[in-house]
Amino acid sequence: MASEFGSTRLFAIALLVVATPLLTGAARGPALQLFPTTVLEDIKETGQVAEDMETGLQEVISRLDRQQQLYVESKCDGAVEDPGCARIAKQLGASYMEMLDVMGQRLPDMERAVNSTRTSLEKRLRSELGLKMTPWALQETLLGNQPDGSEPAQPKLRGRSGLRLSERFRQYYSLVAQSGSKADHSLAVVASDIYLDMEEASVLIAQTQEEIGRATLLEELNQSFGVITPEMQQVVNGVKSILFGESGQVIELAGPPPGSGQIEYESPLEW
Amino acid sequence: MDMRHTETKRGSIMNRPITAIVLRAIVALGLLGAAGGCATSTPDCSLAATRNLDSAIDSAKSNLQAGCVAYFDGYMDQLLEVAAGDPQPENKRAFSDFLIWSSDQGLLSKRQAQETWNRFFNVKFVSLQGDYNNCAQTCPVRDDVLDNMERELADKERGMLKASLDQNGYYRADRLLQETELVLAATCRACAAGGR
Repeated sequence: MASEFGSTRLFAIALLVVATPLLTGAARGPALQLFPTTVLEDIKETGQVAEDMETGLQEVISRLDRQQQLYVESKCDGAVEDPGCARIAKQLGASYMEMLDVMGQRLPDMERAVNSTRTSLEKRLRSELGLKMTPWALQETLLGNQPDGSEPAQPKLRGRSGLRLSERFRQYYSLVAQSGSKADHSLAVVASDIYLDMEEASVLIAQTQEEIGRATLLEELNQSFGVITPEMQQVVNGVKSILFGESGQVIELAGPPPGSGQIEYESPLEW
Repeated sequence: MDMRHTETKRGSIMNRPITAIVLRAIVALGLLGAAGGCATSTPDCSLAATRNLDSAIDSAKSNLQAGCVAYFDGYMDQLLEVAAGDPQPENKRAFSDFLIWSSDQGLLSKRQAQETWNRFFNVKFVSLQGDYNNCAQTCPVRDDVLDNMERELADKERGMLKASLDQNGYYRADRLLQETELVLAATCRACAAGGR
């Protein structure tokens, strides 16, 4: 059961990964060619798949929440013999299976989009950052022309943003579309973030498909999801936080404190 | 006759073993040195006990000129400690002037002076440089590079944050390290995939 929940979570993460490239698709500048237009269609399609999945899962997850609340308020925990509790538990199991089913339907499209975009980004990263740049050029690119004390205009990365997945894609797209060559530093980071997410997503999708198949078989055999377990609840929470931004945990990169506005001393020794 | 005598004496000197001559010369030089006072004594290389950065730098310069060049790294360490006791943006200039002076005096090469300055006071990382591309140069030693950058960030904390109150610079360096870690993770994976 735990592995089924794990696979569900993997799927949700994979979905997040797929959506991320939408943001980077608009990233193109004369200096760094990390986001060629050929990737845009994949990104858009992936974003659409993410939005469809949000829509499809929102209803079933809301129902799961209501059923879970009813189960707790009815003090069903441990009351296995109670017919009313057994009915709620069975409904919980059915809703959980429906959630897996929705994800299972979207997975093939997601897998195709993820792999396509991942491959494109992989070539770009290797070419633009790996083969064309020295280590020094890389850090100069990352620093960009950002003045001291200013916050770089880029989304939060490698963590849950607290936003809906589709909204996160929209923000990425906006960032990429509005940035020219001046935002190369952001694009390099965004491209790397998306690529790593897609690598992870690719594995997660495969594992999720496998687990959905196993869970479906168990369900067909004996309605084994009669009671929602802590592991199941954890998976549902994970999907909610990734898709709908309901997680309280936000991982952010360190940001500078407010700038003093003073002109910094620059040594003749400075590179 | 006299000539023969002279020749005989010269010949006797020339015939002495060379080692004996060298030994006598060493003894003679040692006596001269002792008679001349402190010509060969070790200089006192400790810095003056002061909380004032300018005074501490003057003391370091004086010692370095007296032959305490081997203590240069230790002096930098102590000067940073003194600066941290009275942190202010102007301290950057004092360190820069000190390093330029060290370079002008021939105590450091210009390259060494630049690396020392940038290691402690610049956002960019001395640990992340090279003439070849990242796939070839950085990726094979990525973990070492990142470890070195971590250590350099600690030096930047001392130089930029604690000695010079350059919070913006330090946090930019911190962010640069995190972004470098992320970008190298992706880039090196892509490089490896290209080699498969």
